[in-house]
Amino acid sequence: MLLLVTTVAACGDGKDDGAKASAPKAPATIPELTKDPLTLSFIWFDWPPAQALETFANAEYKKERPNATIKVNTVPNANWHDAMFTQFAARKTDFDIAILDSQHIGEAVTNGNILDLTDFVKNNIEVTAYNPYLLAAYGQFPQAETGKRDENASLYGLPLLGDTWTMIYRKDLIGDKPPQTWDQMISAAEKCQADNPGVSGLAFHQANGSDAAAVTYNTVNGVYGGNLWDAKNRKIDGVLNDAAGQEAMDVLVNKMKPLTAKGSGNWFIDEVNAAVAQGKACIAFNWIAASGGLLDPKQSTLGTTREQILDKLGFATLPSQKTNLVPLGGMGMHVSAYSAAANQAEALNFMKWFERADVQKKWAAAGGVPSRTDALQSPEFLNAGPFNKVYADSVPRMRDMWNVPEYARLVDIENTNVNAALNGAKKPKDALDDIAKEQQSVLDSSNRKGGGGL
Amino acid sequence: MKDPAPLTTDHPGQVVSATPPAPGRSRRLSDRGLAVAFISPAMLLLLAMSVFPLLWSLYLSFTDYSATRGGPANFIGFGNYTAILTSAQVHTRALTTLIYVIGAVGLQTVLGFGIAYLISRRTHGRGVLTTLFLVPMMLSPVVVGLFWRFMLDAQFGVVNSMLSSVGLGQVEWLTRQRTALISLIVVDTWQWTPFIMLIALAGLSAVPKYLYEAASIDRASEWFRFRTITLPLVWPLLLIAVMFRAIEAFRLFDLVYILTNGGPGVSTETLSFHIYKVAFLGFNTGTASAYGILMVLVVIVLTQFYLRYLNKLKEG
Amino acid sequence: MAVSVDEAVSTGPARDNPPPARRLGGRGRSALEVALLTVLAVVMLFPVLWMIETSIKENRDVYAIPAKFFDFTVTLEHYRDVFVAPDGGRSALSVSFLNSVVVAGVSTVLATVLGVPAAWAYSRFAVKAKKDQLFFILSTRFMPPVVVVIPIFLMYRQVGLIDNKLGLILIYAAFNVPFTIWMMKGFVDEVPAEYEDAAMLDGYTRLQAFWKFTLPLLVPGIAATAVFALIFSWNEFVFATFLTSSDSVRTAPPAIAGLIGGTTTDWGLVAAASVVFALPVLVFAYLVRRHLIAGVTLGAVRR
Repeated sequence: MLLLVTTVAACGDGKDDGAKASAPKAPATIPELTKDPLTLSFIWFDWPPAQALETFANAEYKKERPNATIKVNTVPNANWHDAMFTQFAARKTDFDIAILDSQHIGEAVTNGNILDLTDFVKNNIEVTAYNPYLLAAYGQFPQAETGKRDENASLYGLPLLGDTWTMIYRKDLIGDKPPQTWDQMISAAEKCQADNPGVSGLAFHQANGSDAAAVTYNTVNGVYGGNLWDAKNRKIDGVLNDAAGQEAMDVLVNKMKPLTAKGSGNWFIDEVNAAVAQGKACIAFNWIAASGGLLDPKQSTLGTTREQILDKLGFATLPSQKTNLVPLGGMGMHVSAYSAAANQAEALNFMKWFERADVQKKWAAAGGVPSRTDALQSPEFLNAGPFNKVYADSVPRMRDMWNVPEYARLVDIENTNVNAALNGAKKPKDALDDIAKEQQSVLDSSNRKGGGGL
Repeated sequence: MKDPAPLTTDHPGQVVSATPPAPGRSRRLSDRGLAVAFISPAMLLLLAMSVFPLLWSLYLSFTDYSATRGGPANFIGFGNYTAILTSAQVHTRALTTLIYVIGAVGLQTVLGFGIAYLISRRTHGRGVLTTLFLVPMMLSPVVVGLFWRFMLDAQFGVVNSMLSSVGLGQVEWLTRQRTALISLIVVDTWQWTPFIMLIALAGLSAVPKYLYEAASIDRASEWFRFRTITLPLVWPLLLIAVMFRAIEAFRLFDLVYILTNGGPGVSTETLSFHIYKVAFLGFNTGTASAYGILMVLVVIVLTQFYLRYLNKLKEG
Repeated sequence: MAVSVDEAVSTGPARDNPPPARRLGGRGRSALEVALLTVLAVVMLFPVLWMIETSIKENRDVYAIPAKFFDFTVTLEHYRDVFVAPDGGRSALSVSFLNSVVVAGVSTVLATVLGVPAAWAYSRFAVKAKKDQLFFILSTRFMPPVVVVIPIFLMYRQVGLIDNKLGLILIYAAFNVPFTIWMMKGFVDEVPAEYEDAAMLDGYTRLQAFWKFTLPLLVPGIAATAVFALIFSWNEFVFATFLTSSDSVRTAPPAIAGLIGGTTTDWGLVAAASVVFALPVLVFAYLVRRHLIAGVTLGAVRR
């Protein structure tokens, strides 16, 4: 039996060696497409944009490629990373296009799970039509630390859906004009909570799953002039928990948390939406792409029509304080290295089609958030939803997290510790120092013997 | 790795092929052949799906293998084991798991036995009562977890709603360190008290009536009768029930995953939940394997001691 | 048990009972015991009733504060949503229910076909180191699923069984075979071996004797055992989550768990899906109520 074990393990290893380090390259030109019926599968998590994409693509892409059907497989948000990367690990995927979070790219590229699109992009995509940072964020690895695109770096994906946080505020409770600074925002929330019993001042993501609490802290950290890390020297300890970082944690735990509802310590996207829809929050923060449901009268107690709801709800860009940074959300499309050649060709063709100016505008009208500058400034996009202008205005202000292969571990460390601080299980300062220390040890652990991942 | 799967698919065929032993052979031989033919398919499935994976885990536990990063599995001796045993992170999870196991199993045993005792003293409606009490146990942990999460919600959950209607404040059931662990214990108790009850009931109904009758002639006190007749007869069965529950509770995963996701912070992360994170967030397959092997060892060793104690009890 | 205290107060059937009169002795005590049992039963069943109630409430009543116990509008909308997708087609949930039926059904049949003959052999023949073998078989059930799932994952990726119903079927069968053997061995032990001996004197082979005489007597036991295996496979969550991903393979437990964590959570739908999912198990459990104890202790304890 033991003999069998070793041979099998060895055989497994041999297979792994081939895919070592770098990602396989996609062809520079799209190969000839099949004429047979073909299903192009995506994987994403379960939220309205996923359904929007499937409907949109089947309606529009079919006009060009009648034999292609688009299927967007969805998994629960909490399972999203695991679902994609367990399949990558299996070297067999039931999807052709993975919709990776921007920070997942590092892990996927290092493991050779997705195709290198550099040559393909050069020949097929108008790179000048984009804000360079968006191209970098959803495709480039290693990612540009400065927020600028590195023309020489390789590209592994193309933008699918842009996203950032929007501030959602109750016009009828705090006035039409949104607060401009973080301090003003906090005092507006304070006053609103005092004036309206039963309504809490703030609602934001605090959960310890996905990237919920981590994004919240990162946002405050950015606004208060902090840094997540020194990418060049791979240094987190001493950077994240410097004075600015400490101040951000203090603001989050001691000023913002007391203004949230009791028991909101496990809230994520849907709980924040529910609080807003039930009229239980003065000011809330949520991803733009998840905010569409707020305007649905069937799910809201704020009004019986979209107009009535919009009389009460305002959407604004995030207030600024020491800086005006906002979190980068959204995802790109990445081609699985394990899908069939015909499907990979179709995937490339789809991406080329999707990034066309006219299609980007149609995607905007269908409820998506495009990335091409011309589409972002088009009336089709700006008029499609009250939060779309928020996105267009936020694009130059975005900052992302670390895009490294260790991302999943780093974000878990941050999530659990920020969540602990928010719920009184750890002192804010201790939590921040623990994050810095533990994240640093993850970055440094590459040459340790055993016990990785504890 | 082609071997196990074909083996398992062959099984039904093997059962069929074990038809009539050739005439003339001695019955003993045919019996042995039959035994082998009947037992080996099941054993092969277990070897392929339980033993082989476990051995593979054992092998990986001595390496730094990662399921996604690929590359060769480098042999690193006991590196993973010493790292796990000395890790403060692991100690925290072990303590959480221990508190949870003791709290949940203790509560279930007391309540379960109590309910069984009360039911055993009824003459009417026992069947109906027992059946009703058993419902929670039959539900999927997913259903149980989701539903309690809904009921324990601080804002609109029914539990807090009822608390406030009797003038008590809101309790943050799932987002405070203490209450979150208590909530886990309460939910697990809700689901598994029926298990202890069921087994205790079996023990209680096996107590011969004449023993009680004899005792009541002696005018023995209620407590005396309970202590000297009921308890000693039910005790061994109850201990087995406790063992089953403890093993289950020790490896708890799904309820944590759904109810608290390990939070707040990591305060409700059990050992199983931690293994999941090591295995699927960082894909540190080697470490996770060593961690798992250690957990299996703990179960086996403790169960052995416990069973030995039980056997002694039986003899004594 | 804060919950039980609180629920006892608000529903309070206990209060209607007169306080036990100590002088009355037996009767007073009996009343107290009945009251106590009633309270406990209410506490244990309340979550189930609340689940059923939530499943027939309109969404705005689901979130109502204070909670609505009786005065709400009844709707069957959520039950429709369990089976019908918003666009009128078949919902992903109903597909997952179907997958559950296939996976649980086939794995149970496989476990029964493999387990029953083995149980018979263990009961009838002198097998070498029988006790050790049996303990070994049982101990495979005690491994934490999260631990087993790692090597199984590695193994399955080599043979292409990830995100495949057959993969789930095999692992469930492997988890149910030990149980089937232990439980069935008890049933076989109860059938006197003399029946087979007598048949063999009449000229039947051992196998024929088993097939013609013992097996028919075992049918009720097999049914009970199979039902328990079925319940295990039906409820299982860990393997299902980690070994499957696509809608066409995913079974119901991960699909139901997936209902939370989107942009809005429809608790009415969660409740309705849970009720639909739990119903078959409750019916089956009722059918095998006589064998419950053996069933839940892997056959280690029997009445």
